[in-house]
Amino acid sequence: MSVTDDFCLRVNRTMTEATKQAATERAPAQTVSLTIDGRPVTVIRGTTVLEAAAQLGIHIPSFCWHPKLKPVGACRMCYVEIERFPKLQVSCATEATDGMVVLTDSDKVRQGRRAVLEFILVNHPLDCPTCDKGGECDLQNLTFAHGFDDSRFEFQKARFAGPGVTTTFDDLRIGPEIILNRNRCILCFKCVRANKEAFGEYDLGAYERGNSTEINAAPGHQVDNPFSGNLVEICPVGALTNTDWRYKIRVWLTKTTPSMDNFFSSGANILFYKEDHQNRVFRVTSRRNDEIDDGWLADVTRYGYQIVNSPERLVTPLIKKDGRLVPASWEEALQLVAQRFGDIKEKKGGVCIGGLAAPYLDNASLYSFARFFRTVIRCNNIDFRSDYRMLPDNPESQFSNLCSRPFRIADIDDSDVTVIFGSDLIREHPGEYLRLRKARNFGHPRIYSLTPYAVKSADVADRAIVYKPGTEELVINALCLAAAEQGLVDSSAAAQLKDKISSHTFAEATRRCGVSEADLLAVAGSLAEGRMVTFIVGEIVAQSKARETIATAIANLDHLLGLSRRGQVAVLARYANSKGAERLGLLPRPTEAIAKELAAIWGDFPDSPAYPTDAMAALMKKGELDGFFILGANPMMLYPDRAFMKEGLEKLDFLVVCDMFETETTALADVVLPLSSWAEFTGDYVNLEGRVQRAYQAVKPSGQSRPGFEIMTMLAEKFGEPLFESAESMAQEIERLLRLETTPKTPSEFAEVKVSEEANDDAYPIALFVVDDAHHSGHLTEKAPSLTSFAGEAYVEMSPDLAARMEIENGDAVRVEAESGRIIVPARISEHLNTDVILIPRNFSATPVTSLLSRKRRVDRVKLLKVDH
Amino acid sequence: MFYSPVITNASEVSDANGLHLFRYVEDAQQHRIEQYEQHGGYSALRKVLTSMTPEAVTEEVKKSGLRGRGGAGFPAGMKWGFVPKGSTKPRYLCCNADESEPGTCKDRVLMERDPHAVIEGMAIAAYAIGCHLMFIYIRGEFNHCIDRMEAAMAEAYARGHLGKNIYGAGYDLDMIVHTGGGAYICGEETALLNSLEGERGMSRIRPPFPAIEGLYACPTIVNNVETLAAVPHIINRGADWYRSLGTERSTGTKVFSLSGHVKRPGNYEVEMSFPLKRLIYDPAYGGGILGDKKLKGVIPGGASTPFLTPDMVDVKLDYESLAAVGSMLGSGAVIVFHEETCIVWVILKLIHFFRHESCGKCTPCREGTAWLEQIIGRIEHGQGKAGDIEMIEEICGNILGRTICPLGDAAVMPIQSAVKHWRDEWQHHIVHRKCQSPTTFAFA
Repeated sequence: MSVTDDFCLRVNRTMTEATKQAATERAPAQTVSLTIDGRPVTVIRGTTVLEAAAQLGIHIPSFCWHPKLKPVGACRMCYVEIERFPKLQVSCATEATDGMVVLTDSDKVRQGRRAVLEFILVNHPLDCPTCDKGGECDLQNLTFAHGFDDSRFEFQKARFAGPGVTTTFDDLRIGPEIILNRNRCILCFKCVRANKEAFGEYDLGAYERGNSTEINAAPGHQVDNPFSGNLVEICPVGALTNTDWRYKIRVWLTKTTPSMDNFFSSGANILFYKEDHQNRVFRVTSRRNDEIDDGWLADVTRYGYQIVNSPERLVTPLIKKDGRLVPASWEEALQLVAQRFGDIKEKKGGVCIGGLAAPYLDNASLYSFARFFRTVIRCNNIDFRSDYRMLPDNPESQFSNLCSRPFRIADIDDSDVTVIFGSDLIREHPGEYLRLRKARNFGHPRIYSLTPYAVKSADVADRAIVYKPGTEELVINALCLAAAEQGLVDSSAAAQLKDKISSHTFAEATRRCGVSEADLLAVAGSLAEGRMVTFIVGEIVAQSKARETIATAIANLDHLLGLSRRGQVAVLARYANSKGAERLGLLPRPTEAIAKELAAIWGDFPDSPAYPTDAMAALMKKGELDGFFILGANPMMLYPDRAFMKEGLEKLDFLVVCDMFETETTALADVVLPLSSWAEFTGDYVNLEGRVQRAYQAVKPSGQSRPGFEIMTMLAEKFGEPLFESAESMAQEIERLLRLETTPKTPSEFAEVKVSEEANDDAYPIALFVVDDAHHSGHLTEKAPSLTSFAGEAYVEMSPDLAARMEIENGDAVRVEAESGRIIVPARISEHLNTDVILIPRNFSATPVTSLLSRKRRVDRVKLLKVDH
Repeated sequence: MFYSPVITNASEVSDANGLHLFRYVEDAQQHRIEQYEQHGGYSALRKVLTSMTPEAVTEEVKKSGLRGRGGAGFPAGMKWGFVPKGSTKPRYLCCNADESEPGTCKDRVLMERDPHAVIEGMAIAAYAIGCHLMFIYIRGEFNHCIDRMEAAMAEAYARGHLGKNIYGAGYDLDMIVHTGGGAYICGEETALLNSLEGERGMSRIRPPFPAIEGLYACPTIVNNVETLAAVPHIINRGADWYRSLGTERSTGTKVFSLSGHVKRPGNYEVEMSFPLKRLIYDPAYGGGILGDKKLKGVIPGGASTPFLTPDMVDVKLDYESLAAVGSMLGSGAVIVFHEETCIVWVILKLIHFFRHESCGKCTPCREGTAWLEQIIGRIEHGQGKAGDIEMIEEICGNILGRTICPLGDAAVMPIQSAVKHWRDEWQHHIVHRKCQSPTTFAFA
């Protein structure tokens, strides 16, 4: 059959995205001029009448139109009258043309709208008094503006029936969070379209036909995809609601506060809905920013706010007395910290104290943390990487360089070639995954995914390539050699490169990494030809112990094909403010430029030795580090060798932990300080692009909790060395650092790549990758009930083939054993996986998967045992 | 094999040359390729592949004036010409065999009795538009047609009329028989394409038209069975011959599916511009009204076309003559009603059908058809209220021309004409709470 995959995707030009496409593809952009309601307007060719009217500030009512989806023209609310067209036209799907004369509010248009509203209301239950959408319902608002005040329909309204449905109420739970009321549904199909087009999910669909048409979960499925919350947000009526928000408060009693996502590094823009008297956040919705999030939020972002309201929040400082943590006052706790740290500093020097901050904290907290350690304690033992990214590193390394390369989210739209290397994008960067989908829907990009195990997010890719775990640098080398062999680069560069990659040929490399030659030739060909290239390097590379080698190989590829000159090659930042932490000097050895600037601001810069998290843990074990201060981080949960970290922390003389919750780490602490969440103070965050965004205070801090910067400045005062003269001076210092020109090096020569392949281990035959669950991020989301309703406990994800061989079925208890430890988790058979690789989420404190990890091995390997009852 | 009893005029016409589509339709062996070839079958395809350029074929069909027989009557050759030149995308041809308009059953006969004519016509059209993979989308309930088409396809492959390098002319063509799920809406070309892609059968907004972006966003031509079956005759006998039949703007022959209160319901192939009255009353055709009763009205082009009253039946069956009296040729399904028919009952049956077949995508058709059925049902059951007729008219007005696809229009046009022509009868129904006409009605 000659139907090629490339054409299986419908690519109708549409809407906002189409306009953009027109602007980029048809250079120079052509414009058309038309008249709407007597006012002239000039727009880019491809713009619809509805959009053109919006440019004049004329609002055309509609239900089914969505700026990020292809138009369907289903609701028929957006009628306009166009000269020379005898019939009313739907403005959402009519392209503006030169000389068009449009009327948006003529008698005929008004009559048409009223008729549509009448039709929609014919079978609508009109249960507004008990509908949770009341006050923010498009149907209510448009009926108010354009409709009848009476109904001419004299028959029994159509009602849905079925299991779980009574004649009056039709509340059907179709997912862990989503509740569907089919009677209220006006069939705009926005949810089904968004689910399919924008998120690539098929768990929601339309069934039956005519006025029996219903939206429902696919038979045998739940709507539980990682973007399902958006469906509720875009529903124009009360048909889709979620348990998070419904029946808790009326929307008009709430106020909104602009804020930011605190879980992913792209920094999606959100609104907090809060009520002043209750001092509580009620929900989060999107605050659309086309440069970042396109108006879509991952469920983690949408429901993650619930940790702010959690009853488990720490509300007072705690001090360990007789082996138990008991409440204390701030004064008492800070005094104790100052005294103990003071003692250690005096007796053994500041170098015996270390600190670890969390990368989701705001700039002020991170900066005051760094300043406290470097100017008051006078040491360089600070870090913000408590998980696998803690590996020993220096600012001149190829990997660090790759991390600091510029990256623009919106450039994904315009890239004609995108490579996702070593990343399960949905779990790591859900927003960027949606961008790629959009690029795929509205254009013809070539997308490739290269991962050590099959991932769901590869469904946007033309080719999903799976290589053998632990062979990343071979894959990249093979790409380099493929480009050289195909004659895509000039011969002298090819010769220089081959000089550096002498240990294997292209054919050998592909064989060793288990990838077909044709696949890599195709990727190399596209990379060489691409007009604009995006090369995303993901967490699988970042957590590899050979990441420096891999980064070197990537630098070679970049240099060979000149990728950076035609686009972006970068390791994306991992957490909400990882980029800020990097820029504000939270690394033990910041880059020279940052160190120089800090020295200039502070007057001097300590020249003591600098140890990253990893080395600090080793020093603790040796008894050479006595005091440790943790701000918001939970290394016990995330550090990829739990036993090692535990031993170290237990050996400490004095451990202070600031966190929002009691964790495995606070259990070991001598003093615990309650930390405020990002909703409780105003703070700035730097997203993965380096864009500084502000999250405003929505509610008052919970209990006696305080933001990180307050804790650090109070502590410094106890030392008699105030950190800042004023809040303004702090802000100025931070701004100086953020404004610092960062000029990442683009590679200018080829470097040797030392391929380090690990032999298989027969005792532990299965490769283990630790991931984030698609509904969780880091260690805090476990406290959000909505998110645990999607996934509440850990599991081991395995391929159907592996499960069959081990006679394991979904839900069976499986013992996962490594050299360093063992855990028992239920099995989850994943259709996406197809090799002997297992995945375990790291987000559940009851199942410490980090205890299976070893600092010694490149690829963690385990064996599986079915637990018999 | 099962041979379905459908009355056609093939056995009665003395001059078989007057028939083209139906010439061999009464031949029980015509569906076999040996018989078809013996009757000159596949000679047109051979001629086209060996001696004509695709442009010449399109030009010939354009010249013939052949118009789409599915209902819209769009000139077929012109449609083929819309396929973009120089596009690197694959092109597709899809034969629309989702015949489901109430009253229409012409395609069924062609597929059952002369399936190779359909395949040959499809192959010629495919060659003309540069397509290498063609589909036939057959209505799900047409089991016999599906069997016959599949068997015919296998025969055509085996004899080298389909497949690689046909007749050594270097042209490859593959065919897929696809069966629908039984939805009227999938006869609408964009809904058909959605269904073929595996999507829910709902019409797409146009533009883009299928000829530009159809199946899998590639240029696609969708033609009716009867349209394509006429193509081999045009190739064999020339466009000028075809033009000589019918009128200036309605050329060739057309199959009419005659049903309702006539003595001889059936499929009749006649020259375009054939008098409607003769079709109903001529003993070789309808043979007059059942029970020799008086005529009440006629739907001339399928359930979606406006009614004709007895004073309007002196009309010729072609596109322009029917348009002149405010109706349409449609798919050529002539439904006849005698004097005792209750018009409200007829309309209730029709709106029931359209309500059931509305796809549910756009608001006016989805909600309006259901509302109309409730009001008309109330009148039919003797519970009509004053103002109901005006309400029906208003709702019809709010659906007509306001929907994505023509289903909305199809649903309301017969209602509007029935209310216009027989308003008294509707009034009688409401006032007296019962029928003016004593007998019930059944489709023959």
